[in-house]
Amino acid sequence: MIQACSISKSHQSGRGTKKVLHDISFSVPRGSTLAIIGKSGSGKTTLLNCMGGLERPDTGSIHCLGVDLLGLSKRELSRFQRTKMGFIFQSGNLLSYLTVFENIAFPLALNRLEKERRTTELLEKTGLLELKSAMPHELSGGETQRIAFARAIAHAPQMLLADEPTANLDSQTGEMLVKSMFTMCRKEGCAIILSTHDHNLVSLSDKTITILDGKISHEKKHQNT
Amino acid sequence: MASCFLIRSWRSTLVLTLMVVSAVSALIFLSALAVGVNDAMINNAVSLFSGHISGMNIPEDITEKDLLQNGVAGVLKRVPVAGFLLNKEHMAMVTLICISPEKEKKFTALWKKKRKGRYLEPGKNEVFLSQSIADQLHCQPGDTLEFSPGKNTTAVTLTVCGTYTTGVDQFDRGLSFFTMGATVLPEKTGPWNAAIFLEHGVDEKAMTHRYKNGKTAGIPFKTWTDLMPDLKQLIELNYLSMGIVILIVFMVVSSGIACAFSIFILRDIREYGIMKVMGITPLETALLIFSEVILINLAASAMGVTVGVVGVSVFQNIGIDLSDYTSHNQYFVVSGIIFPRLTAFSIWLPPVSALVFSIPSAIWPTVSVIRKNAADILRSI
Repeated sequence: MIQACSISKSHQSGRGTKKVLHDISFSVPRGSTLAIIGKSGSGKTTLLNCMGGLERPDTGSIHCLGVDLLGLSKRELSRFQRTKMGFIFQSGNLLSYLTVFENIAFPLALNRLEKERRTTELLEKTGLLELKSAMPHELSGGETQRIAFARAIAHAPQMLLADEPTANLDSQTGEMLVKSMFTMCRKEGCAIILSTHDHNLVSLSDKTITILDGKISHEKKHQNT
Repeated sequence: MASCFLIRSWRSTLVLTLMVVSAVSALIFLSALAVGVNDAMINNAVSLFSGHISGMNIPEDITEKDLLQNGVAGVLKRVPVAGFLLNKEHMAMVTLICISPEKEKKFTALWKKKRKGRYLEPGKNEVFLSQSIADQLHCQPGDTLEFSPGKNTTAVTLTVCGTYTTGVDQFDRGLSFFTMGATVLPEKTGPWNAAIFLEHGVDEKAMTHRYKNGKTAGIPFKTWTDLMPDLKQLIELNYLSMGIVILIVFMVVSSGIACAFSIFILRDIREYGIMKVMGITPLETALLIFSEVILINLAASAMGVTVGVVGVSVFQNIGIDLSDYTSHNQYFVVSGIIFPRLTAFSIWLPPVSALVFSIPSAIWPTVSVIRKNAADILRSI
């Protein structure tokens, strides 16, 4: 279970303090999916960053898999992210000096897990085995996102955070990616929190929250199993 | 991982490597050149006449063989005889030094400083005059002179075989040379001086210490550093200057390298940001960055040492002719050719300095990467 309780977050800038998140609370059970939708600048990325421990909220609490995320030290947080979490970003963010294979194997190496078999298995599932020696700059946007997804789930995390994973993809590729992401995660009992603009993808998730000006304006459950 | 980063970002690795290689090799060459300059000054000063060690007032019962020890390349016997040289109405007070021309030619370079005529030949009643004494006596090679060692002694007739100029006052004023054994002079019975030439690498202080024992005990032996304290200071000054130059050059070069390292590390901040998100701890990030810096430095230093050593080896044999810049210098009277020489110090100091300076240069970018929030890093790219 992932639980966010009364999260608030402000950003300081030259133009003063801007309240990005205001009293956000939600929960995501194990193996289920939550889609966060909202306009650009509504606070979706900040909320995902807070949930992944990449940013610290000003107030509130986040409990992931029974752990108080905000109570962890930097080292403990890194260890938690390494073992329990997976991240997918809008632009893929593959490590540019590593090959496709090495990118997927990276979290496995970090967790001292078997690399060869698992990486090859993921490359086969994503249909990109022939690209295993390619460098990230040689991949298309869709291929990059599929590799990013494979990398995010390589170490079988219990929580996957995806920040607009289909934003740079055409609708068909995006839908395929999200469908396979949801299927594989449900099978492995991994909870997914994703932010998106794409309303077609929203219906695929178990629950949706809409953020408007940093607040939850709407919450909806779907029947997807 | 660090080597993977370095190899795959080969352009920036190459730039950094070239910076370190050029700095290390240049400093190796410069320090070898400084050692070569010092060697040249010592060789010039020692091989002109005096030898590495000078023995004074040696009793006649001690022979040259008694001074031949392990590490001694040769011992030259010299007998000084003070007196007057006369050419008709012209007179000069001189110290005539009786020498063995053949042996002298083997170990010293005074004969190379001939200005007119020729050098001494064995068995001939000849005198090799400094040009200033020849001018004072108004004589030329081939002229005959009278030498009188004292008021109540018989004068000896000597032929001027040649004249010399060294540029060193000590030799050019008041000294002249004569072939030992060619005629009856007081040298046969008086005490003698020795010029001792050592083999390469033999310590002259240790050798003088050895002479203090046994048959030669009590005889004053002086090293070239005792006889030429000005040269000793000059060499020490040269080493000090070189040390300061190395330090300044490395401070300048290292600040350049530090900036380059900072730029390259911060350029890769995206990579470190992604890795942070994936759970790389601050310690692991620091280890990765420092491994990159150390790896690149070790590889570049090894290459720099190789380039420097090869460069020095080339000039170690052919030498660098700086005669145009040393012709009026008394410590380059024999030869102005410098042969750079490698020492352990000159080989190790530049690469160690490169490493010592570059490691702190990685601290600031590492701290910057570690302290920066992963979300901020990813937001900024």
